[in-house]
Amino acid sequence: MASEAASEATPHPQFEPKIVAFVCNWCTYTGADLAGTSRLQMAPNVRVVRLPCTGRIDPLFITKAFEGGADGVIVSGCHPADCHYTAGNYHARRRFAIFRDLLDFMGVDVRRTTFSWVSASEGGKWRDVVNDTTERVRKLGPFAEYQGLSDPLPGVRRRAASGDQVGTPPARGTP
Amino acid sequence: MNELRELARKLLGDGAVKVVIGYEEGPRGVRPVMITDPAQAERLVFDARCVHNLAAYLNPRRPHLTRLGKPAVVVKGCDARAIAGLIRESQLEREDVVVIAMRCGGVVREPTMKPELGPETVSPRCGRCASREPKLFDHLLGVLPPAPPMPAGDDPVARLEQMSVAERWAFWREELSRCVRCHACRAVCPMCFCSTCVADKSRPQWVETSPTPRANLSWQMTRVMHMAGRCVGCGECTRACPSDIPLGLVLAHVARHVERRFGYQVGDDPSVPAPIGAFKTDDSQEFIL
Amino acid sequence: MTTRAPCTTKCITRAELAALVADLAAAGTEVIAPVKSRDGRALDYQRIGRLEEAALGECALPRRSLKEFFLPASEVLLRYRLAKNEVLIEEVPTSFPPRVILGAKPCDAAGVEVLDEVMGWDYRDELWFGHRDATTIVSIACPGADGVCFCTAVGLSPDATKGADVLLTPAEGGFVAEAVTPKGEALLAGRRFAEGQGPAGAEAFREAAREKVARNLPAQPAAFHAWLGKSFEHPAWKAIAHRCHGCGACASVCPTCHCFDIVDEPEGPDRGARRRNWDSCATCKFTLHASGHNPRAGQNERFRQRVMHKFATYPQRFGEVLCSGCGRCVRACPAGMDLPELLGQLFLDAGADPSARARSKRDDGCPEGAL
Repeated sequence: MASEAASEATPHPQFEPKIVAFVCNWCTYTGADLAGTSRLQMAPNVRVVRLPCTGRIDPLFITKAFEGGADGVIVSGCHPADCHYTAGNYHARRRFAIFRDLLDFMGVDVRRTTFSWVSASEGGKWRDVVNDTTERVRKLGPFAEYQGLSDPLPGVRRRAASGDQVGTPPARGTP
Repeated sequence: MNELRELARKLLGDGAVKVVIGYEEGPRGVRPVMITDPAQAERLVFDARCVHNLAAYLNPRRPHLTRLGKPAVVVKGCDARAIAGLIRESQLEREDVVVIAMRCGGVVREPTMKPELGPETVSPRCGRCASREPKLFDHLLGVLPPAPPMPAGDDPVARLEQMSVAERWAFWREELSRCVRCHACRAVCPMCFCSTCVADKSRPQWVETSPTPRANLSWQMTRVMHMAGRCVGCGECTRACPSDIPLGLVLAHVARHVERRFGYQVGDDPSVPAPIGAFKTDDSQEFIL
Repeated sequence: MTTRAPCTTKCITRAELAALVADLAAAGTEVIAPVKSRDGRALDYQRIGRLEEAALGECALPRRSLKEFFLPASEVLLRYRLAKNEVLIEEVPTSFPPRVILGAKPCDAAGVEVLDEVMGWDYRDELWFGHRDATTIVSIACPGADGVCFCTAVGLSPDATKGADVLLTPAEGGFVAEAVTPKGEALLAGRRFAEGQGPAGAEAFREAAREKVARNLPAQPAAFHAWLGKSFEHPAWKAIAHRCHGCGACASVCPTCHCFDIVDEPEGPDRGARRRNWDSCATCKFTLHASGHNPRAGQNERFRQRVMHKFATYPQRFGEVLCSGCGRCVRACPAGMDLPELLGQLFLDAGADPSARARSKRDDGCPEGAL
């Protein structure tokens, strides 16, 4: 859980990333609460969404978070064998192994995602997850690629089928 | 082929089935056919042009077909995997379909091509097939041909995997820009049988329906996630796409990942559970902090 | 078969056409032409900067028609924004910068003009006509694509001028250019192109193409739309589309299919857009009512409607067949649905006694051998 070396330059020092965290009620939410009551110093960038269980988290939540402007996403729940509903986190583990790899294959930088097991007593771990994710995403900058999906396709002459996505004309001489 | 026609004639004549779903010669090439009259069984053909996955016609949401009565369906190995999937997921009872499985040496890319298999003509889907002699069948016909002649060293999935993240983003952004959200990929897929697809739900809406880059990416990722561990690799979605988007590449990548991580390949045994929906307490979790 | 007599005929060399394209691009006029896809296997209508980027006069058709330049696959109708206590509506422009489509297939250009009827029928579609007014269409006579297309069977031809402002015909050294409309005249005006009818080879090219396409389907669907309109219960419809998946690929590639869905979708937490998106009557939910009732619940009913709309209803209302015979529906269909095959069969039926067909040996009610 060591933070990135402080000597690494941060390309976007003023940038405050928006991080959305999908957490399970029984473990991580309680652990986050503990971090709060223990007055642990945490970056304020994380918006927490509470769910009963990581097993409830649909990959579409992550997609919608990025569509909505999130620069990073955290998914966190109970450790294996500790799930309040017995097996929810086991299902989530398989599901997110596949989805994380799919995101990578589609060209999404998975350093913008964090998956963690944080128990109700691990306030310190939650602080580390929050701070490390925030710094990691800050270095990556705003998630311009995803936000740019609403913009016209840059630098490519192709016109998408939807009329409002018009490419810019090519410079002379480019193929 | 005569074996197949004779069997179809018998099944229909005895009333064992009410319709045989198979392949026939159309004006441009091979195409699916639904035969209800034993005298028409002579129209059935089977050769390397029989590309279509006929298991898609077993989807219970096709009342014009279910109303015909109990079907027999001609399948290759990939199609048989789909039938196993439908049974596994309780969309079909084993005894409600007669499976006529054909030993297969691969198919060409399009049913309008000549039935000549070669590295230039063979369909990419045949590359890693382990079901050339299907194990799910009521009748197993044909002689096992040699393995399909795949082009050497050609692995577009691996090529994509070796690109950088930014290169892959640019690749998919370009490919998906042609998607018009016709959903042909979903319509031809035997495993897409939901009566209301998540992309059709509007209260709340999870996937926007407009063919914009943002929504197209969401749709494709969602469909692929829903196919993880279920996709039989028949390649019909890729073939059906009117914009020639290489959907099969994503599905193949996820299938390889599922195999590496969970040791699972979609097979034609309905009693083997699928990886999503199942779990092991010691599943790998190297990506989880 | 031309619908208008051409006004002016010029001979244009390839170099002169390249110069015209370059001048248009330099002036900021968008030029769209058929372009080979990256893998070289297909053509798409795409923006070009130079004539060299275009693949003019190929046999094959671009994957999609010109429809998307006048009715985009997704088009914003208005935008809305929440501001304090009110909703602000932002109108979208209905006039657009000028552009030229170069090298359109005559079937695609004709399809656009056929759609003008419904787009200007009970409500003048400002967006459609805004795109139309801004666009000059330069067709190029087609050599005949393959064994599938059938433009001659629907009252068109590979050298039709319907929908075109200028028709180019490949000729030695370049093209013969016929201006068909005032817009076409304007495009060719002010350029020093040679006058004249051009070499005789141009007419021979067109004649050969017409013969080639006519061999594909001798039927004349326009001639039997009255019969079709009365044949709603013909036994052919019972099993005609068992193999159809209802995927809608046909509608997306068709030059004349124009049904759309209208949705309000978000663009941010406080804003969104009302869009119209391409839709297809082949899909199972196209006529699904909120009550759950679906008047076209089976694929055969839906396919019957598709054929009726194109070859009976639209002609009855507008005097135009809603089909340009391009054949894309056949090429795109993953299940082997074949409209020209069906039309050929129904054409025979239109002449034959319908009750005799009903007594045919085929128990699935389909005409012998066709479906």
